[in-house]
Amino acid sequence: MNAISPNPTQKYDLSFARWVRDNIDGGERMNMCMQCGVCSGSCPLSDQMDLGPRKIFQMVRAGMKEAVLKSNSFYQCVSCYNCVVRCPRQVPVKYILHGLGRLAVQEGYQPKSNVENARFADAFWWSVTTFGKTDERLVTAKYYFSGGLMNGIKLGLGNLKTALGMIKTKRMHLGAPHKAKNRGELKAILAKAVEIQARHEGEA
Amino acid sequence: MGKKFTFYPGCSSQGSGQHLDTSTRAVMAKLGYELEDIADWNCCGASVGELAAGHLPTAALSARNLAQAKEQGDQDVMTACAACYLNTHAVNEEIRDNEQTKNDLNEALGAAGKSYDGSLHVRHACEVLVNDVGMDAIKGAVSNSLSGLKVAGYVGCQTVRPFAGTERGGSYDEYDQPHFLDDFINATGAEAIDFENRTSCCGGSVSVMKPDQTLHLMHKILSEAQAKGADMIATPCPLCQTNVEMYQDKINKKYGTSFNIPVVFHTQLLAVAFGLDATKDAALNQNIIPADKLKAKAK
Ligand code: SF4
Ligand code: SF4
Repeated sequence: MNAISPNPTQKYDLSFARWVRDNIDGGERMNMCMQCGVCSGSCPLSDQMDLGPRKIFQMVRAGMKEAVLKSNSFYQCVSCYNCVVRCPRQVPVKYILHGLGRLAVQEGYQPKSNVENARFADAFWWSVTTFGKTDERLVTAKYYFSGGLMNGIKLGLGNLKTALGMIKTKRMHLGAPHKAKNRGELKAILAKAVEIQARHEGEA
Repeated sequence: MGKKFTFYPGCSSQGSGQHLDTSTRAVMAKLGYELEDIADWNCCGASVGELAAGHLPTAALSARNLAQAKEQGDQDVMTACAACYLNTHAVNEEIRDNEQTKNDLNEALGAAGKSYDGSLHVRHACEVLVNDVGMDAIKGAVSNSLSGLKVAGYVGCQTVRPFAGTERGGSYDEYDQPHFLDDFINATGAEAIDFENRTSCCGGSVSVMKPDQTLHLMHKILSEAQAKGADMIATPCPLCQTNVEMYQDKINKKYGTSFNIPVVFHTQLLAVAFGLDATKDAALNQNIIPADKLKAKAK
């Protein structure tokens, strides 16, 4: 489907591989990839990915920035770490995929509203920065409604039985969210980490 | 050897994985270990933090937990949640081995007057059961045999991947065909079936977001357990437990199956086998599909 061979309509950006190497967590090991395909072959979600990790790495090296960053592969990854433990060249596959997935959203190659994982991740991060903890109820609700009101109602009703089961077994509590006590401290640490990360991204 | 751990319960301990938390505490207490919680712990970032915020802010979450743990003493940090272990362990190693990350994270911690040097050890509760407690002591604590029960030991992904190794070198199991869970099951007197899908993926957080894309993964796991006559599935992972349990309805609808297989934590089995209370210690009331055959064995 997605050919790796040169294609006249394809845009190439030969600085892309270097950028990935210098900026994506674990990217410096991508050069070690020998295209054996063990990662894609071990991935439980590869049948849902348009490209899969092996192709992505070769396309990064070929400078196919746009085609790579438009891939759906990053958002199918479930972090099972099969690829990481099996890669014979110790390429931290999953970490590179997550880094590329974040870049794709940041650079506007993936409209956030279309990327469930990006919306879910945002809902999740909101809970963590607001309460210091993941409130499974609020993350789910926020994620459901991030795709629009009707979508949220549909998803919510579809999972009503599950939610009731969780409430009945007291695995979903009713009431205020659980919170870390010193949330000011946590916020200060996170804000600083965001600042340092931006500083490093600017340096490169 | 210290019999005290600094314990990191993690977010699922207050939500969908409460029965893991309750049964872990009960089992460790019975085995003579003291767990002291990290006083004001926060979320570890789970598997999607990096996607939302990037590596450093996600790592800062674990760094704050570790800085607090260090303030509470030098004893090892233990957690029972696969994702919490993965993140906390990875950040701990990074602070220890990567000067740049250590400096960056300490600069971030400094914003709240904290610091951390990477000197603690972070351990998964299963590894502690294997290496510190040992299979003989576990067998020795069994006073209420679960003989007659057939159990499918479902390890999942993140409990043994990517860190089946321990921070002190050596390992507690292999990441492809781990046997520690079968050993726990057999120690209780129950029979561990030969479960080929023991490390197959349940779909993780993608199952939470868009289950339609991952039902086939859980279908495979449930089908094998059913075909091999398992009375229940046992897992150490909170996300596996919730996914494989709560999506059985949806799977039945999609595949025309009639799965109704209880999914319990290994610590719930151990608690019952140790003769502890079915509700207060084993938290059997918190499984949505009741594990009736296990409950019937409880004292
Ligand atoms: S397993 Fe490793 S070496 Fe093989 S294709 Fe994947 S990243 Fe490259
Ligand atoms: S970690 Fe992600 S990319 Fe790697 S094998 Fe698992 S699902 Fe596939």
